[in-house]
Amino acid sequence: MSVVATRTEAEEQLARQFAKVAPELPGGAWVPAARLAAMRAFGDAGLPHRRIEEWKYTDLRIRLKAAHERAGCSQRKVDAGLLREALGEELASLACIRLVLVNGRYVSSSVPVGHEPGESWKFDSLAAVLGRPNFAWIRHSFETADEADGAAVRHLNSAFVSDGIVLTVSEGAKPALPIHIVSIIDADKPVAVTTRNIVRVGAGAKVTVIESHIGVSVSKNERQVTALTEFSVGDGAEAHHIQLVAGGADVVHLGQWDVSLAATAAYRGFQLTAGIGLARNESHVSFTGPDAKLDLSGLMLGRGRDHIDTTLVVNHTTTGCEGRELFKAVLDDRARAVFQGKVIVAPEAQKTDGKQMAQALMLSEDAEFDSKPELEIYADDVACGHGSTAAELDADMLFYLRSRGIPLADARAMLIESFAADALDKIENEELREAARAITVGWLGVAA
Amino acid sequence: MLEITDLTVRIADEEKEILRGINLTVPKGEVHAIMGPNGSGKSTLAYAIAGRDGYEVTGGDILWNGQSLLDMEPDERAAAGVFLGFQYPLEIPGVATMTFLRSALNALKKKRGMPELTTPEFLKLIRAKAAELGIKDEMLKRPLNVGFSGGEKKRMEVLQMSMLDPQLCVLDETDSGLDIDAIRIVAEGANRMRGPDRAMLVITHYQRLLDYIVPDKVHVLSGGRIVKTGGKELAHELEKSGYAEFTGKAA
Ligand SMILES: Nc1ncnc2c1ncn2[C@@H]1O[C@H](COP(=O)(O)OP(=O)(O)OP(=O)(O)O)[C@@H](O)[C@H]1O
Ligand SMILES: [Mg+2]
Repeated sequence: MSVVATRTEAEEQLARQFAKVAPELPGGAWVPAARLAAMRAFGDAGLPHRRIEEWKYTDLRIRLKAAHERAGCSQRKVDAGLLREALGEELASLACIRLVLVNGRYVSSSVPVGHEPGESWKFDSLAAVLGRPNFAWIRHSFETADEADGAAVRHLNSAFVSDGIVLTVSEGAKPALPIHIVSIIDADKPVAVTTRNIVRVGAGAKVTVIESHIGVSVSKNERQVTALTEFSVGDGAEAHHIQLVAGGADVVHLGQWDVSLAATAAYRGFQLTAGIGLARNESHVSFTGPDAKLDLSGLMLGRGRDHIDTTLVVNHTTTGCEGRELFKAVLDDRARAVFQGKVIVAPEAQKTDGKQMAQALMLSEDAEFDSKPELEIYADDVACGHGSTAAELDADMLFYLRSRGIPLADARAMLIESFAADALDKIENEELREAARAITVGWLGVAA
Repeated sequence: MLEITDLTVRIADEEKEILRGINLTVPKGEVHAIMGPNGSGKSTLAYAIAGRDGYEVTGGDILWNGQSLLDMEPDERAAAGVFLGFQYPLEIPGVATMTFLRSALNALKKKRGMPELTTPEFLKLIRAKAAELGIKDEMLKRPLNVGFSGGEKKRMEVLQMSMLDPQLCVLDETDSGLDIDAIRIVAEGANRMRGPDRAMLVITHYQRLLDYIVPDKVHVLSGGRIVKTGGKELAHELEKSGYAEFTGKAA
């Protein structure tokens, strides 16, 4: 553990805030002590900085200038109008089960008739169950032991988390509609929100879970979010997990996914990060049983001085698992995307089949793409590969389109969309894919 | 009318000029063929007309209906009626053929001050045109030109031409890569577009195409200049004698 000599302004603010808000945070029994331990662990290491390998490109000590105050309650009612404003037309009209958090607190659900929670699936508000005896299993999610220096996001999340959804899909259950956990932030000043969702998909089940982190009013462009998702997929289950994050130049999104896949599970994860000033999405995937399939992909859209970091740690510890990772970035102005893809194949993880690809489309000479694939292979009978490219728009293709009468801006947009398409195509649900495409096109439109 | 006068073109970063003083007039209602050895500048001329970046016009002018094309962007030239059928059509992954055609058509309509087509109107039009050219529905559903065979790409070029309704058609080796039946189908497609309001410039290596699209004039381009102009019989002569006479002269 490195000892940081002087605390940054943000670190000071976080410590003061914790002292102030800790008594009001939800959770009895073991929870206050766990929060305190997490805050201590955070305080000891401080914000991660570039001398920590995993944070080499995203130095939070420098980039996180100030920590906003915790968000209070919003006065706005969750209605169709708010959802449309937050999510956009396409996503708001998606046929789904919707569980809505506002300013980091669960407020309401909307469940189409015939899809009600029950035997097939159920959910609780994390705040409501935190520390309850029959939810003792949640405790492990808050343990801080042996965490490396880079675990600041997890520590901060454990210390400050105000709510989230605990979602359980029963063994063999196949909810027909996607379950959409919407986190809306609505405040008239910059605020911070910390949420944690815990998703457990039973053996043989099949489900699509969407998490969207969107702000309205001031929070559209100015908010700080720490969002952690624990996602476990049981034997032979199939899970689709989609995260949509959109915002503006002054948004900070620190996200972490911890995914564990049991034997023959199939998990498909997708992350869309559109126009976020400072985003870090760190995903840890572990395989607890053989022959599971992982397909993780994402699209990062940045302009201005946006900084979008995707960091993966895929840990193959068992035989015959498949890993596919495809991350794409579209970067304009001085935006920067980071892709770190670490794939570890343990000696016992024979027959691992891993492929990773990171591609950036550079719309400006000043944009930057840092790609760091890392393969650590300790088994001998494996097929693993990775690739990384950064390219500009193809001048010949642009000319071809323009020679047919398509104006430059439209031709560019077409080619950018086409670049993004094979990442977006990873989203299986068509309606959802179109909603993600609409967010992408909307983001592009701002450029034109 | 297309009027090209003393046109010289240099390719960016290259020292020498590829086109070294082209003079060519194609009145409306006429079809002119351009033939010539490999590397003589035929595609360069086509690109200069369409306005491709990197093909720098160092002298002369290209007038279409009395207006210079040189200051116009490629999409503006398309709006003015210019169409180039590419020698090597590009594959555009991720852009659906239908979406592309519809965007192109509507962009042109908009620039020409005409109403856009409704979806049923568009579908009706494209189905009819595709059927004429033997293009299957399945091809229209694929991304533009992706995985198309050489011949399929050329048919797609002709489909685009007939959809976009240009007044100046420049076809750069649209016949190469086509099987014998396809040459006929494509030529029929081009012939349907012949009319008093259209001028066509057909670049080809083979007299066979000109048996179908009978040209009003044939020009021989060699070493960046038009070295001979004649009637349709010139194509037959070239077929027999080759270009030795001109390459000697042009060197
Ligand atoms: N982008 C380029 N960079 C450098 N040289 C080029 C470029 N494009 C064309 N050239 C050169 O310009 C000359 C004319 O090329 P062009 O493609 O116009 O010939 P062409 O008459 O169409 O030949 P072909 O019958 O083979 O299609 C050739 O010598 C070619 O190598
Ligand atoms: Mg050529």
